[in-house]
Amino acid sequence: MNTTKALKMGFSDRLYFVCVTAVAIAALLIVLYPMYFIVIASFSNSNMVNQGLVKLIPKGINFFGYRKIMERADLWLGYGNTILYTVAGTLLNLAVTLPAAYVLAQSRFKARRFLMTLFVITMYFGGGMVPTYMLVKTLHLTNSPYVMIIMGAVSVYNLIITRTFFENSIPVELQEAAWLDGCSHIRYFWSIVLPLSRAVISVILLYYAVGHWNDFFTALLYLNKDEYQPLQIILRNILISNQAMAGTTGAGEGSYAQQYADQVKFAVIIVSTVPVLCIYPFIQKYFEKGVMIGAVKG
Amino acid sequence: MGRKIFSALKRDWQLWVMILPALAYIIIFCYGPMYGIQLAFRRYDFSKGLTGGDWVGLKYFMQYFQSPMFGTTLRNTFVISFFSLICGFPVPILLALVINSLRQQKLRRVVQTAVYMPYFISTVVMVAILQILLSPSTGVVSGLLKSSHLIPQSVNLLGTPGAFVPVYVLSGIWQSAGWNSIIFIAALSSVDGQLYDAARVDGANRFKQVIHVELPALVPTIVILLIMNMGRVLSVGFEKVFLMQNDMNISVSEVISTYVFNIGVQSGQFSFGSAVGLFNTIVNFVFLMIANMVSRKTADISLM
Amino acid sequence: MIRKKWLALLLAGCMAAGVLAGCGNSQGVGKDTAASSDTSDQGGQSGEKAEKESASTGEKVKLTALISKHSLTKDVNEMEWLNILEEENGVDIEWQQITADWDQKKSVMFAGGDIPDILFKATATTDFATYNGLFENLAPYIEAGDMPNVAGMFEDHPELRTLCTDENGAIYGLPNYRSLWPRTNRVLYINKTWVDALGLQMPSTMDELHEVLLAFRDKDPNGNGDTTDEIPLDFNGFPSFLLGCFGVPLMNESDGYYVEDGTVKNFRVDENYKEFMIWLQELYGEGLINEEVITQDYSKFQSLARGEGTTAKVGVTLGWESGDRFGTEVADQYVPLPALKPHADSDENEVYWGYYYDNNSVNAATVALSANCKNMEAAVSFIDDFYAEEIGIQVLFGGMNEVDNCIQDNGDGTYTVLPPADSSIDPGTWKWTNSFADYSPYYIADDMKDKLTMGEDMARVLAEREPLDPTLDLMEEKCDTYPAKFINYTTDENADLAMNQSNINNIVDQTYAAWLTDSTRNIEEEWDAYVKSVYDIGLAQNLEIRQTAYERYLEATK
Repeated sequence: MNTTKALKMGFSDRLYFVCVTAVAIAALLIVLYPMYFIVIASFSNSNMVNQGLVKLIPKGINFFGYRKIMERADLWLGYGNTILYTVAGTLLNLAVTLPAAYVLAQSRFKARRFLMTLFVITMYFGGGMVPTYMLVKTLHLTNSPYVMIIMGAVSVYNLIITRTFFENSIPVELQEAAWLDGCSHIRYFWSIVLPLSRAVISVILLYYAVGHWNDFFTALLYLNKDEYQPLQIILRNILISNQAMAGTTGAGEGSYAQQYADQVKFAVIIVSTVPVLCIYPFIQKYFEKGVMIGAVKG
Repeated sequence: MGRKIFSALKRDWQLWVMILPALAYIIIFCYGPMYGIQLAFRRYDFSKGLTGGDWVGLKYFMQYFQSPMFGTTLRNTFVISFFSLICGFPVPILLALVINSLRQQKLRRVVQTAVYMPYFISTVVMVAILQILLSPSTGVVSGLLKSSHLIPQSVNLLGTPGAFVPVYVLSGIWQSAGWNSIIFIAALSSVDGQLYDAARVDGANRFKQVIHVELPALVPTIVILLIMNMGRVLSVGFEKVFLMQNDMNISVSEVISTYVFNIGVQSGQFSFGSAVGLFNTIVNFVFLMIANMVSRKTADISLM
Repeated sequence: MIRKKWLALLLAGCMAAGVLAGCGNSQGVGKDTAASSDTSDQGGQSGEKAEKESASTGEKVKLTALISKHSLTKDVNEMEWLNILEEENGVDIEWQQITADWDQKKSVMFAGGDIPDILFKATATTDFATYNGLFENLAPYIEAGDMPNVAGMFEDHPELRTLCTDENGAIYGLPNYRSLWPRTNRVLYINKTWVDALGLQMPSTMDELHEVLLAFRDKDPNGNGDTTDEIPLDFNGFPSFLLGCFGVPLMNESDGYYVEDGTVKNFRVDENYKEFMIWLQELYGEGLINEEVITQDYSKFQSLARGEGTTAKVGVTLGWESGDRFGTEVADQYVPLPALKPHADSDENEVYWGYYYDNNSVNAATVALSANCKNMEAAVSFIDDFYAEEIGIQVLFGGMNEVDNCIQDNGDGTYTVLPPADSSIDPGTWKWTNSFADYSPYYIADDMKDKLTMGEDMARVLAEREPLDPTLDLMEEKCDTYPAKFINYTTDENADLAMNQSNINNIVDQTYAAWLTDSTRNIEEEWDAYVKSVYDIGLAQNLEIRQTAYERYLEATK
């Protein structure tokens, strides 16, 4: 009796896993092919790419695009700046967001709803670009690298995610026990909540870090000095060369370098995207730990 | 009364300290510039300062409501964001469940890492890739769809107005479904192991465990994200639409944000742009409040 | 365990820093506002002092400048001709260089009232009215003789003065002028190798061109055995130059507006446009036009015409110059065509081509000066130098010195534009890399035509326009020009024009695309309703505004 039941379950489970694996592999292929295409396009002849001759294998292999960007000093400067902004900015983000989320998760905290409303409103209403620009100017943050770190110190979206996690995944009993032991909020947050929240910390860390890495608009609006420009601005400068050329061809100039610009474009995409992809495996470890905590907790 | 506040403050001072940095940030950087909203009600005049222009009341709002572009932009914006939400929202959840169910750790890790990757691609590049892959004559993907008769031979996926929304929505899913699944995977990782054991004891197979254990565990996250997404029902990412726009699809691709950009920023009509933007914000906010209220009444989960 | 502590320490540090930064900021607001207003006052005084001091001691004057430059253009600090120019003027300029998205940045920066002293290639005429008071009126300096080169330019070409003077007589942005440039931007090229290979005649009418295109489609003209890889006709967006052949006199047309018999018109509602669209729709329906003319981006458009190796792919197309359009491998297969009349019995005197001389040779508002500049005298004289004869050509083509090596001084009052020092770079790219290039402040007088030998690319540009010369000559003689660039509008007019135009474009672009690509649409039947909707959505008002302004202009220049 028991054995037949086990066998039956085994079959439906097996079917389930086969389906799941098939879906996962399909998703994998759908996601990977376009990216694979960019990679092979980056060292194929760009005329052949534009004519649709490059599909699965690279053709007319050359590394012109890569050689060209290696020569660009501004790209490496941008790299350095972006790393700096990302690291410093993300640390500030965590330092501001985590305690705030903890406070907003305290169901007994009277001002909580009012504060939450205050935060949520900012997701929708803003003063617009010009008043914000004038404020930043008043604070002497224009043309200062600090603007890249301070702007967006709190993302309300991430704040809400973190708060939801604290509310649902940290048992209330723990806090009550801590209270009885005379534990203060700050100490409880520091030594109990944070260690239990690796999963959500790594999630918002990734969100914030990628946000900083891809941040383009802040630099566009507030930085005019070449030495502070982040990677995205440099990337954009290279990428728009196509459009700029199209724009100037009202009189037809400057489109000669077209062919090369295309290849540089693909190479730049790869060079600027790969580092941020490398963050993930590092974070993944914490995801795994998060899973373990979840399992041990019960 | 005063004593009550004082004792509350004394009790909660640590909480106030902890929230102070975040509070200070939004007060300075978000509420500080909000006086700029009045631009929508004033005739912008540089020489009189940002808010020194003559008060014109709702003139710019009326101008927008009466403009022939009002209906078009409103409809386009709504259609795009509606389908983005309907089609885009469930995919990350499914993906998270699938990834969480994979048994081979290696495959799981590969899939997980791969599906995040597109998110890191910038919009400019994303649109360039779309143009290459969907080109009617040479595109690899459009060629594949045509040879398998999924779309008619003559269709130009980048030009036909009817194709704009599907291309926009599906490419959006391609780019961000993996990324958005992170939050659900994280939520799944904190599901109590005992619940699985209990389900197994009850004779639930793996699929039933998904339905009865994992999905319920995701509900709070799903509801919160859904509320927040409802608040974006009239906002469509500006950059991607702008870059995907061309003369053939403009009838379905001119959305409020691109319209604000074209008129408000590029033509320097700050007041008109602010008014249209403010209208958009208010609609979004109303939707958010409704969703929040409904959710609080029915599921007891809410943002505020 | 150790790592945990390390992490804890780090987080604690950050948090403390976060709290401090928070407090610091909130206090900072008040303090900094006060401080900044103080310093700006002091700055004003010390600036004046510095000016006097520098005049007496010969110390360099510090200025800030912004340039919105082309993405090919190198760091301007590396341009030797510019360094020499700064040196000679005794100024030291701190450059802000913007390559991308200037439009978005500009409105925020201007509205914030925060601009550097001099702005190159960064302003539009409408900005001066919108940001009233932000820029310095240059008219008094020109009157006082502080800008002799600019004054000289205005003497030679009084219309340039009209162009930049607003209704109150103020001049906020200076225009540029160059002779030497061709009268049209586009030439229609045909693949002569294909024509010969199929034993065809060169077309002399649009109808014959149609026959040639059909042959290109069916008879494998590039001889590679594949009849599907040829694109008979390719262009990008809307081919307004071809529209000229159908009888629309596009003299310096802008946004579709042109003048005929003293009336401002728009070709989008012209009967000739209807005829043209019917013709184009037929071609498209027969598979003679690249399916992607509307959606392809510029880079794809370019690379398609460059063929595959020596195998050409495109039969007939529009371009600026054959070397640029077709690359090195297939360029010699193409020859330019004259302006073709639509049918054998069409009136030759009503066949035109897009004439864009003013659009090509003059730009408005190429440089502007901040009203808050601390050292007007030095800035004004520096700007004026850009208009000097020997500087102007360097601004456009690159430096005339040992380091830049872009122009050679022949010593007898003539100059030669040198081929690129780096032979792997083509002349166009070389120019855009080493100079401020087009849209910059310069004055290249009419007599420079005889004094300057241009590079091979520009020589080819001019040579390839010879077939079009009779048509362009005819237009100069009989058509009204539409001096759109020289016409000024009031702020309200500008607001209406911009708003209406955006709505008009919405309809016309969309209808154009639909008519072209969908052969089931009956243009003849839809025409009246379409014309009405375009007029109603704002064209009627825009034509009225433009007509009034055009007449105002004619009055002023009488």
